[in-house]
Amino acid sequence: MSAQPGPRTRLAGGLLLWYAVLGGALAWAIHLMVAWGADELTCASGSDRIGAVPLRLVVALAVVLPALATIGALLAATLAWRRTAHTRPDGIAEATLGRTRMLAALGLWANLLFLAIILLGGVALLVFPPCQR
Amino acid sequence: MSTTTAPPPGASQEDLARLEAHWGERASLRSWFGTVDHKRIGRRYLVTASLFFVLAGISALAMRTQLARPESSLLSPEEYNQLFTMHGTAMIFLFATPMLFGFGNFLVPLMIGSRDMAFPKLNALGYWVFLFAGLFMWASLPFGAAPNGGWFAYVPLTDDRNTPGLHMDVYTLGLLFLGIATTAGSINFIVTALKLRAPGMSLNRVPLFVWAIVATAFMVIFALPALNLDNAMLFLDRRFGTHFFDPEAAGNVLLWQHLFWIFGHPDVYIIVMPALGIVSAVLPAFTRRGVVGYVLIVLAIVSIAIISFGVWVHHMFATGLPHLSYSFFSAASTIITIPSGIQIFAWLATMLLGRLVVRVPLLFLIGFIVTFVLGGFTGAMFALTAFDQQVTDSYFVVAHFHYVLIGGAVFPILAGIYYWLPKMTGRMYHEGLGKWAFWLFFTGMQVAFFPMHLSGLFGMPRRVYTYRDEPGWDVWNLVSTIGAYILAVGLLLVLIGVVHAIRRGRPAPPDPWGGDTLEWSTDSPPRPYNFPVLPQVHSLHPTWDQPSRSSMAEDATADRILADGRRTLFTSELDGRRERVVEMPEASVQPLLLALAMLVFFTAMLFAWYPFAAAAAVAVAVTIAVWLWPPRRPEEELGVVR
Amino acid sequence: MSNRSLAAATSTEALTTELPAGRSTGWWGMVMFVTTEATLFACLLGSYFYLRFQHGGEWPPGGIEQPKLLRPLVMTAVLLPSSLPMIWAERGIRRGDRRRLRYGLATTLLLGSAFLALQATEYAELFHEFTLTTNAYGSLFFVITGFHGLHVLIGLTMLSWLLAAALRGGSFGAHRHDRVRNAAIYWHFVDAVWAAILFTIYLSPRL
Repeated sequence: MSAQPGPRTRLAGGLLLWYAVLGGALAWAIHLMVAWGADELTCASGSDRIGAVPLRLVVALAVVLPALATIGALLAATLAWRRTAHTRPDGIAEATLGRTRMLAALGLWANLLFLAIILLGGVALLVFPPCQR
Repeated sequence: MSTTTAPPPGASQEDLARLEAHWGERASLRSWFGTVDHKRIGRRYLVTASLFFVLAGISALAMRTQLARPESSLLSPEEYNQLFTMHGTAMIFLFATPMLFGFGNFLVPLMIGSRDMAFPKLNALGYWVFLFAGLFMWASLPFGAAPNGGWFAYVPLTDDRNTPGLHMDVYTLGLLFLGIATTAGSINFIVTALKLRAPGMSLNRVPLFVWAIVATAFMVIFALPALNLDNAMLFLDRRFGTHFFDPEAAGNVLLWQHLFWIFGHPDVYIIVMPALGIVSAVLPAFTRRGVVGYVLIVLAIVSIAIISFGVWVHHMFATGLPHLSYSFFSAASTIITIPSGIQIFAWLATMLLGRLVVRVPLLFLIGFIVTFVLGGFTGAMFALTAFDQQVTDSYFVVAHFHYVLIGGAVFPILAGIYYWLPKMTGRMYHEGLGKWAFWLFFTGMQVAFFPMHLSGLFGMPRRVYTYRDEPGWDVWNLVSTIGAYILAVGLLLVLIGVVHAIRRGRPAPPDPWGGDTLEWSTDSPPRPYNFPVLPQVHSLHPTWDQPSRSSMAEDATADRILADGRRTLFTSELDGRRERVVEMPEASVQPLLLALAMLVFFTAMLFAWYPFAAAAAVAVAVTIAVWLWPPRRPEEELGVVR
Repeated sequence: MSNRSLAAATSTEALTTELPAGRSTGWWGMVMFVTTEATLFACLLGSYFYLRFQHGGEWPPGGIEQPKLLRPLVMTAVLLPSSLPMIWAERGIRRGDRRRLRYGLATTLLLGSAFLALQATEYAELFHEFTLTTNAYGSLFFVITGFHGLHVLIGLTMLSWLLAAALRGGSFGAHRHDRVRNAAIYWHFVDAVWAAILFTIYLSPRL
């Protein structure tokens, strides 16, 4: 792997790092909009199904899928953290390495926070029927 | 403390003379109206916001005097309504945010090692718009036409049937006008922090204050449109007969509340976040060490900025949501306390591990922690629904948010004033006077607002202009009023201290505190070009590390002096790699003219002089067109093929 | 993705890639401005759906007919493709081709003006049926489409200004085209917003 990566690989690597940092936040935002929106609108229309699909299942998916995406981001952040553990002799600037490591650490903690929010909100699904007021 | 001397200059005398020629502004009327120097603009923000603070404070004193005893007739109900609305609106929109933007304006370019903001003329425009919008709103008070529907202006109270007259039009138009300044300032902060950092300042070396300002700016970008839209709709409803908030014609009054709190909850953090940034910036100098847990504090700043957008429904739990959807917001509201807690514990750990130097700024920081934590404690009490319903709209709430906002914003702002006064004015303040000011302010604050918890628990509703002589209320109201006057005396001493420092203070050395960030590597006050040599940053605490310091002195290189023009450096967004040298704009009166044209527009809209408004809109467009008109360049420089 | 390219993308070299980098202040300023404007439109369209679902019952309320589709679809067919000559013009000036800049700008201007003219005829027709003050639906309809129309007008002003500067000469070239690119970002944004408005106002009541 001593060869310099090409532009596409670099783009993928850069995007992967941003997924590691912001993936949890994005997943949470989508989770909130979909789960809240579906629950609110469906219940307001006086039904607990969207078409043929039970509302409970839709909300459950809106919890589980974002949670999985957040776990993915958490793994990516862990990877970036480990890949930046040692200073390297082969020319990645110290500032660049430090910056990447800091973003990775940021991603680790942030994804844990967002995972907690998603799971804490989602666990209510075990307790409440979706339209109970 | 002041052991530091000015470092040996890395730039030659000729370089300094040329920098002075390109950046210096001769004292003239034109330069006064046309300046684009971020330091002058920052100071103006601070002075103007303080002026609005004084006006809002005098409003509060008038209200406290009225409430000192039962059935007082000092103020009429109409006057009282206008005073409490202007007090709240001005403190939040015309004082807290602009004051902190003032610190940001002065400090961000200095802290990141640049010579100005990314858009200096836009910066000047932001200031003028802020000034005019503030005057626009306050000017309504002498005419008895000031906003009178409370700072959050709920419909239907504020629609044209229930509040006729200009009152709420002043509110909606004034806040829309001000929104231009806030948005322009925010974009400027973001771009400045992304592109103008000194070479070597990668993201992991950005000062916490800059992180806080940038996160605040991002929150403004996403939150302010909701408020602007809300105000535009209310203005249209009142003036042009639309029906957004009219339930009789398919509208809905709750729409106002939703949009207001989508803005309003992040706004709590928009106010407090930069103030907490001040805390993180001031603490290292008085504990003699860096703030503990840099990455965790950055995490707190970033995650609060994001999560604050997912909690607004908790202002509206009385509107009948399904329990399940309530839980999603509830989870966010619970978790957001974790990053808030991280910051407090990081500061406490810093104080514990460091060596405390007890000076006035540190006193205000301690006052901040005590007051803010008390405010947070009563905040947690609201989470008990039964308790919340008991005290909602009572003085308990008034006590709570004054602890949060005075604790979370005013104490850090005062700490910041004392801390950076030497840098801003070049003069030291009087320590004894400052300590008196602190103790009077701190005592006055507790005496004024703690009893409000009690009068609230005894059932006194907020926003009443007077009350009957019932047992329990009058004593605590009198105590609150006495406290308010003590607090005012404390603030007067702050003002006297500032004036005294400017007039009589001894000259300040470049680095009186031994601070860690780059502003302490400049003269006090800084030269118009800030840095004779732009620094090469090697760590998070550049003023404490030798390579960064000597990059501005013996290790100076010509490509960081840039004396042949009004120039500064662009660096890359994440790593702060050097990209290119750029020419910065010179002083111009265009920003002032543009702001004036906008003032004419909003005034004409207020009085329904629509032809004038249309003419002013054209003037705005023409000014912008002239401002941005490309200069003529030779074709070879442009690179024209055909 | 093969294992090798996955390994390459997760290497230290790839992960430390600086992204984004090298953008100008003008680009960032315009992107931030468009972001805050997009949020404003999101709030506006959100308000539409909020009022609609809170109202319940038939929508549009008060006996107003479903919006007709033909004209808005023609308007869409005029406005959305107007981004193409803009892109063509911008690519041209990046290579120093001023002729492409001028023709591209003029074409976009023409299409944008046609859009506004069509909108004016639509308003003239609808005013017989309902106005801004009929009910909340009327307020929403005219404020949303009118606010977008105002943005088109501002965009057209920017383009005319660019065209005037381009015709003067000495303004733009391969090394100086920040203003063209910023106006292009704004114009593409105005186009994209129209797609959201088409869906919200004209298509969604039929769903």
